[in-house]
This record gives sequence, structure tokens and C-alpha cells, in this order.
Amino acid sequence: MNSRTRPRRLSSRDLHTILDVTSALAAPFDLMTMLGAVVAAAKQVLNADRGSVWLHDPATGELVLEVATGLKPVRVPFGVGLVGACGRDRQMINVPDCYADPRFDQGIDRASGYRTRCMLTLPLIDHKGGLVGVMQVLNKKGGVFDADDEALATALAAQCAVALQRVRMTEAVIDGERMRQALEMARDVQMSTLPATMPVLPGYEVCGSSRPAELTGGDTFDLALLERGLLIVLGDATGHGIAPALSVTQMHAMLRVAFGLGADLDIAYVEVNNRLAETLPADRFITAFIGLLDPATHRLRFQSGGQGPILVFHATTGTWASHRPTSFPLGAMPLSKVQPAISIALEPGDILVLLSDGFYEHRNTGGDAFGEARVRELVAAHRASSMRELLAALQHGVDVFGGGAPQEDDMTAVLVRRDARGTASRTFARSFDALPAIFEFTSGEFARQRIDVGLLPTVDLAVEELFTNLVKYSKGTEAEVRIALAGLPRGVEVTLTDYDVEPFDVTKAPDVDVSLPIEQRSPGGLGLHLIRKLMDSVEYEYSRESRESRITLRKTLSGA
Amino acid sequence: MFAIDKSPEGNVVISGRLDAAQAPTAQAFLDQIDGTVTLDCRGLEYISSAGLGVLLKTQKRLLAAGGKLRLAGVSRHLQDIFGYSGFDRLFEIEPAK
Repeated sequence: MNSRTRPRRLSSRDLHTILDVTSALAAPFDLMTMLGAVVAAAKQVLNADRGSVWLHDPATGELVLEVATGLKPVRVPFGVGLVGACGRDRQMINVPDCYADPRFDQGIDRASGYRTRCMLTLPLIDHKGGLVGVMQVLNKKGGVFDADDEALATALAAQCAVALQRVRMTEAVIDGERMRQALEMARDVQMSTLPATMPVLPGYEVCGSSRPAELTGGDTFDLALLERGLLIVLGDATGHGIAPALSVTQMHAMLRVAFGLGADLDIAYVEVNNRLAETLPADRFITAFIGLLDPATHRLRFQSGGQGPILVFHATTGTWASHRPTSFPLGAMPLSKVQPAISIALEPGDILVLLSDGFYEHRNTGGDAFGEARVRELVAAHRASSMRELLAALQHGVDVFGGGAPQEDDMTAVLVRRDARGTASRTFARSFDALPAIFEFTSGEFARQRIDVGLLPTVDLAVEELFTNLVKYSKGTEAEVRIALAGLPRGVEVTLTDYDVEPFDVTKAPDVDVSLPIEQRSPGGLGLHLIRKLMDSVEYEYSRESRESRITLRKTLSGA
Repeated sequence: MFAIDKSPEGNVVISGRLDAAQAPTAQAFLDQIDGTVTLDCRGLEYISSAGLGVLLKTQKRLLAAGGKLRLAGVSRHLQDIFGYSGFDRLFEIEPAK
């Protein structure tokens, strides 16, 4: 959820408090303790007198109050009162004067003898968009909840939702085969914090993935769109099993909160490091790359605690830059300050390649490691492929090299490519509703790249026909469709990439017999028929590795 | 963006972009017309196969009842589309002046 309010510049004290709280939320493993921790956290961060958490009961559609300081348990249907309205609308409600708001139930105060002045009510929504519950804080000490509190509360609510969800998952397995299930749970927790969909950053293509080893290895990554750009994280905790899985999850959460609230990169790095140094056992640490990419200036600023190599492929020259870590691994020891973040510029076509040890150190049966040279070779060979395709090629490359050797460590990758000069791409939801946004994209790119506008209706037609075809026939996938548009001399090239699908070669679709009498005509196949007639060329490629279809269309102005 | 309506002269005036998202609106309107009708396409900027399907279905229905749909004010770009689709054999098409 986006708060309408702009986060204030985060003070070091605020960051301290919120990281304390995030850290505390990582500990509990049972629901009652977690609910207590969430309420305590909310009260502490928002300086509130009381707090409560209502859990969503999907079976009845009610919100159930399991913990409330000084109140009896109670169930509230969706839509009733402030809690019910918040649960139904999934919107934060800030009421400065409860007795002036008709939704407020004064009966609760009468029963408890407590006087509620002001109240902030927030939905708790997990990573997958499901409603976990509703959090409510009452009576801010010395005033009412303001815009700053709303921003803090929004960040906190996201953490609380994930923490509560984690505990529910934990409780669900606690009775089972303890060790195996606990391991699986740790891995599920670890995987559940990874981004479910890739963020859309105009002018860039980003891709991240983590393939866990049998004994989960403690990798994490994050790609999150923030107000000031893209947060890029790749982390790897030492060791295997439950502890590393949970410690990277904790780091992941702290970074999300800190940067979501607008924290400075260097300050956040030191704070998160120090928090990990306090909580991790002495023999454990986390290597991590933490970067912020500003898509307007194309500058990437990063800190890297022992995570390397940090590779950038310069597509135009075919050369490489390799950056070293800026500091020792996170959590190894406390830091008082860190050297300023390294800042690099990404040129058109450049690819940032971040891979965990699981790639570089994967050994074949002869004991040789996959190594950096093979990674560089594969990246260079796939410079024009999509990032998903490059990712699949890297994973496939490791598998082939390994020759059946078991995967000993998590394999985690983050790939970020700046669009090559003269191309732009965006992804679109697999729905007819995306058509207006698609036409906005094509007309916008025609204007920006100064492509002859006479070609626009033809390009729109081809894109619409292919896109609606993908929506209609690629049923098994929810993946977004990527459309790229590049100006050519006196023309244009359009590429549609359809992810996670079976092959369907549009160039092989049967032609329509346009000479048939009207009673034998049907609209079927007309779209593809028109594309072949209107376009100069139509090419189809399918990658089995990445289950990806790619259709490339070209059209140039004819002499006429 | 997309509009379809009757003119005072009894023609149907269609304008804007007739894409897959707008096709159901156009179909619902054209399902209500009868007889021989001129479709004024002067303001029609764009049509995709979904829109062609709407025109084809309407033409089949009107022809069966002894009427027809005429297309008037058809731009160069639309003429190309109708030509490649073979619709110039199914409709009387009057180019834009």
C-alpha cells in the first residue's frame, strides 16, 4: 500500500527504533508472543498509549481480536466499525477525534472505562496481497497521529503482516516431523520474502531468482521499487540450515523497512550491520550487496559487505568492470562508520551481474569450480537476450558444467540491464485492460524516439493482435508480457516476449482465405493474417530453457 | 476515445479507436440497427481484428434480413486493412475524400 503522505527524512533515532522493532519481530515463534511483540512494537514506534491487533478469519470473514491490552476478545464482521471498514477497504484510517466519528463504537469505552481520543487503524497485508489482519493504535502521547506517524505506521504494518504470516506458517508445521519440516519451514520463510514479481522500472530490465539447495543455504535477494529508485540486494548468510535462512530473512526485512522509509544508504548499512552484529552468533555473518539505482541519472550507489565480484558488462564495448566489496561481511563486528558508497554509472546496454557463491563455486565431479570466466562468457553471449533468458542460460550452464553433481549451495542471481540506446521496454499485465496502457506506451515511444507517426496505427494493430492472442491462449501463466520498441532508420522494431508458456509459432498459423463468400468468413485468424500482410518481417523464437516466446516485428516506411 | 452513435440523417457515426477493449460496445450498438445502414468512418482512427469481427457479424445479420452495412469516409490506412482482410469484397466501401 502506498501512503499518500511523503515519508519525512528519517532521523537516525527513528531508524534505530524501527530496526529494533523489526529485529524483535524476527524472534517469536508462537502466535501469542508474536501478537504481543507486534502490539508492543506499534506502541513504541508510534508513541501510542494502547494498541491491538485483529486477525482476519477467512472462514467467517470476521476480524478477531486476540490481543488487546485491557479488552475482552471480540469478533467484528467486515464493514462494521473502524476495524471492519479498514479490513474491508484495506485503507489506513486516521481518526483524530473518535467521539466525532460515527463509525467509532463508544460502547467499548463504556465497558472498559477507558477514554479513546484518537486512533490510527491500518490493514496488515502480506507479500502476496492477502489480508492478515488489522492493527489499531490509540491515543498518541501528547497529540494526534500525523502524516509522519502514518508513514512510519505503514512501514511497520508491512513488517508486522509478514511476521504474523511467518508465525502462522511456523505453527502449521510445528507438530509434524520436526527437523525436516522445520528446515522446509525455514526455507519457505526465506523464499516467501523474495519478490514474487519483478518491479517495472522504465528504461531497465531486471530479473532476480534464488534456487535453494537441498539444505537451505541462506541466500536472499531483493528488487524493490522505492520513491528514489530501485533497491537491489543480494545476500548470503554463512552456513546451511535454519539459522542462516532466518538471519537473511531478518536482514531482508530490516533493509526493506530502512529504505522504504527513505534512509540514507551509508547510515542504513551501518545500522543494519550493527543490529546483525548484536543478534548473530559470533561465528556467523552475512555477505551482502546493497545498492540503490536512480533510473533518472542511471547512477548505481552501493555498499557491499564481502559480496563479490560485482560485475558490470559494458555491452557497447564488450568490456567488463569488476568491483570489489566495500567492507567486511555484515554482522561480523560493529561499525562506527563506513566509507562512502561507491557510485557507478550504467550506460545504455550495460548489465549488472550479481551472483551468489552457489554459481561461482559450483563444482563438477572433477572438483573444478564453475568460476567467473564462464559467467562472463555466458553474459557476453546473451547480451541481446532478455534477462530471464540470461538467467536461464546461467543456471543451465552451471547444471551442464556440474554434470549431475548435487547443488550444494543456494544459487541466487540478480541481473539488471539498462535498455540499449534507442530501445525502450515495459511489461504489461496479461489482461485486455492493459490495452490503453500499451497504446500509451507505443505512442509515447514513437514521440520520444521520433519514429514516423504514420507507422503507429500499423504497429498498434500488430501489437494488439499479438497481445490479445497471448491473453486468450496462454492460459497457464500469470506472468506479465514484455513489449520492447526500438526505432530503426525510417522504421521501427517491436518485440513481444511472453514468459512461462508453451511454444506457439505465430508465423506458422494458417493463412486466411480472404476470397471466400461472406457466409464462410469468420474473424478467426484475421489478426495474424493482417500482421503478416502489414509488417515487413515477423520472426518467432522460443527458448526451452526459459519457456519464453519472443516475436519480433519490423516495419519501415515504403517509398510511397 | 471511442464513440458510436446515430447521426440526424440516420447514419451510424463511429469514431476513435475500435480495439479489442471497445469491440463489445460497438457490437452492442450495431446489434440494434436494421435495414441498409451507412457507417460513417471519417472519425475512425484505428481498427483491429476484434473490430473487423464486429463489422463482419453485423453484415452477416443485415444481409440475411435483406439489408446491408455500407462503409463511408474510409481512410487510406483503413482501406489497407479492409483490403488485406478481403472486406472490400464483403462491403461497399467509399473512400474518404
